[in-house]
Amino acid sequence: MEKLHYERLQETLYHEVMDNGLQVYVLPKPAFLKTYATFTTKYGSVDNHFKVAGSEETTVPDGIAHFLEHKMFEEPEGDIFATFASNGASANAFTSFDQTVYLFSATENIEQNLSTLVDFVQRPYFTDENVEKEKGIIGQEINMYADNPDWRVYFGLIEAMYATHPVHIDIAGTIESIATITKETLYTCYNSFYHPSNMLLFVVGGVDPEQVFELIRSNQQGKSYEKQGEITRIFAEEPEQVASKHVESRLAVSIPKMMFGFKEKVDGLSGEAAVRRDLTTKLMLDLLFGSSTALYQKLYDEELISDSFGHEFNSSAEYAFSAIGGDTKDPGLLLERIKAEVGRILETGFAEKDFERARKKKIGGFLRMLNSPESIAHEFTRYQFRGGDLFEVLPLYESITLDEVNARLHDHVNWEQLAVSLVVSP
Amino acid sequence: MTNNAFQHGHAAGMRIHVLPTKAFKTFAISLYAGVPLEESTVTSTALVPFVLRRGTASYPETTQFRERLEELYGAGFGFDIYKRGDYQIVQFRMDTINDSFVQSKESLLGESFAFLGEVLTRPLLENGSFRASYVATERETIRKKLESIVNDKIRYAAERCIEEMCRNEPYRLHPLGQRADLDAITPETLYQSYTSWLNGATLDLYVVGDTTPEEVEKLVTAHFGRAHHSEAGGYTSDFTPVSVTEVRTVEEKLDVNQGKLNMGLRTSITYKDDRYASALMYNGILGGYPHSKLFVNVREKESLAYYASSRYDGHKGIGTIQSGIETQNYGKAVDIIRKQLDELKAGNITDLELSQTKAMIRNLLSEIQDSAFEMISFDFNRQLSGKDRSAQELMDQVDGMGTAEVKAAADTFELDTIYFLTGKEE
Repeated sequence: MEKLHYERLQETLYHEVMDNGLQVYVLPKPAFLKTYATFTTKYGSVDNHFKVAGSEETTVPDGIAHFLEHKMFEEPEGDIFATFASNGASANAFTSFDQTVYLFSATENIEQNLSTLVDFVQRPYFTDENVEKEKGIIGQEINMYADNPDWRVYFGLIEAMYATHPVHIDIAGTIESIATITKETLYTCYNSFYHPSNMLLFVVGGVDPEQVFELIRSNQQGKSYEKQGEITRIFAEEPEQVASKHVESRLAVSIPKMMFGFKEKVDGLSGEAAVRRDLTTKLMLDLLFGSSTALYQKLYDEELISDSFGHEFNSSAEYAFSAIGGDTKDPGLLLERIKAEVGRILETGFAEKDFERARKKKIGGFLRMLNSPESIAHEFTRYQFRGGDLFEVLPLYESITLDEVNARLHDHVNWEQLAVSLVVSP
Repeated sequence: MTNNAFQHGHAAGMRIHVLPTKAFKTFAISLYAGVPLEESTVTSTALVPFVLRRGTASYPETTQFRERLEELYGAGFGFDIYKRGDYQIVQFRMDTINDSFVQSKESLLGESFAFLGEVLTRPLLENGSFRASYVATERETIRKKLESIVNDKIRYAAERCIEEMCRNEPYRLHPLGQRADLDAITPETLYQSYTSWLNGATLDLYVVGDTTPEEVEKLVTAHFGRAHHSEAGGYTSDFTPVSVTEVRTVEEKLDVNQGKLNMGLRTSITYKDDRYASALMYNGILGGYPHSKLFVNVREKESLAYYASSRYDGHKGIGTIQSGIETQNYGKAVDIIRKQLDELKAGNITDLELSQTKAMIRNLLSEIQDSAFEMISFDFNRQLSGKDRSAQELMDQVDGMGTAEVKAAADTFELDTIYFLTGKEE
């Protein structure tokens, strides 16, 4: 058991790698009654073409990672939700571009609930019948998102940017793509990506670390796993430029929704360099578009943006893009105004005092995040899968310089790389 | 749970509730201002906090106002406006870093109180009234917010169902008010509304963090003392149950992919009722969780929906059911849902359903103590309802429930309204 103490954060993290390769982290929060645990595989919607050393290269239907997530909850003896409920645990799961996360939160029967979590994810049970049944449920989930303008405008932007990279494929797939999913394809994906060496268990809350490790050790020793070969994810070459500069979809909305963003060149960054790039970019976007900026206020007073206006930066080793926007009565005018104002900032760069203030805000936001066991578990796992360390974010923020942020501004804001997505009323 | 009790006091015309704890990295502050929900004041009351967040005497420009929050290490500041029973509540929230984690020259708790006190009692005034441009822009902001409710079909359907069900009560009103009233509001009338709102509202101020009641009272007296002389007599809960004579069905057509089926139920059991625990159990067994009758029968058995759940609002004495379905499955879904309501009335509840639901409610109530704002919210329910019942007492009551009590609760829940949002014919 490895012990990592972060003095400034007043947090101590415990870590151990199981013999089969499973990474286990425990963050005790003695003042907390509840325990929150996530069991995550580094496998998401983008992993649709892959090869595991010793097996054949495989392409699988769109939406299968998410479908698999749904199907994991079914056991020969019924729904695993019932087992969690009997032990007072609230369980859930979600699938993103590059992860599938299974989780529970509970205040009692922690050891039992931890065993349930690890066991159900390590015990696939797919039948022709239960796979067919799920298609109706996921079909309704897809329809629900189809009616959601925020999701449509966001995904429209990614579709506009990416021609071949599967990040542009909706996480749930389509009614047509999931129709082709069978129990065999599910097992193929399961066997490729749910090996313990591709997974991470994070436990945070009122727990004793040694007890957790002991429980997981004996749980894992009771299961036999062959050593797994390396997973190679195969991505077709993605053009540097955006696939389409402008996309539009139609949905009954009271006011148009617009998102725009810049597609970056693939740089293959990982580890601390990737984390630093991400933090610097987020600082930069906040200095450009944050709600305390003169630009934001001007656009708000011109009634071109509303409280819904926001920004984010999304990146992996194979893609990186910003997504900026919200509701606007005049997408064309808003974009024109932004181009003009951002153009001016590109000439001057950011001011030192604004940079210092934005940095303080980010540091405060990071510390506030540490009140939430859910956020800690999700963020820690995300950082870990990229080779970074969530608990080193504070010194990283402190070491970022104004020059770096200004350089990032010029790097990122490249009008040639701009894509725009709109949702407007039919 | 007993060690986590708020200490109650009074200062500057407000009720003060302080919970000293070192469990969190922040100070959580909430200020609740409640007034009766009335057609004549609902819109102006909603507009007040929107204008207050634009500027104060010391920070007249919105950019200055927001920069100040960033200087306080990105102190979280926000407000919500909602209905609780027949009251309209404005809740201001601040979440500020505990100074011990950063090198701050100022006391962040003290500065947060200074800020919040100023927002509430020293708004920016020009010629004795609010700045006209702020009032004009925020009027548009509310108008757009009201118009955009329809963009989120799940939320829209839920609100429409309540609006139809409560069409003869103040509860039909949206907490943000009515669009038609906006145009008549001027800076002068709004300033009058603000003064009478502040003097008439019941004010409850909460702090959770590493502080003491003495420190908080001192800060409140220093920063809130200028304008507030409350004439409010606190909350009264004279609840008259509404009896259902027949089930009313409302269908609405919009351009949607998925139909949204919502139902509204009436019950005589409210928060302050001694039978409250039985209503919680009723809702939990019906549709509060993934092991509940609605999820199991509508989703898992019939694959009709992705979501199918119920909620219980003890402040208003209503229950709601929501699901998203294929429009042609309307009849089938209604039958299945009504069957579940009948099952509960007939007392067809298994021991497993009872024990699972108890465990889930126990977990929910225990988890409250791990979130500062959840603790605040729970205590505020006690202030609002006048019912002094701790989470522990509620938990004990839930634990003691048997089939007979839940069946008795089911007898008080009557289906009142079925609302269906369906697609337009091609």
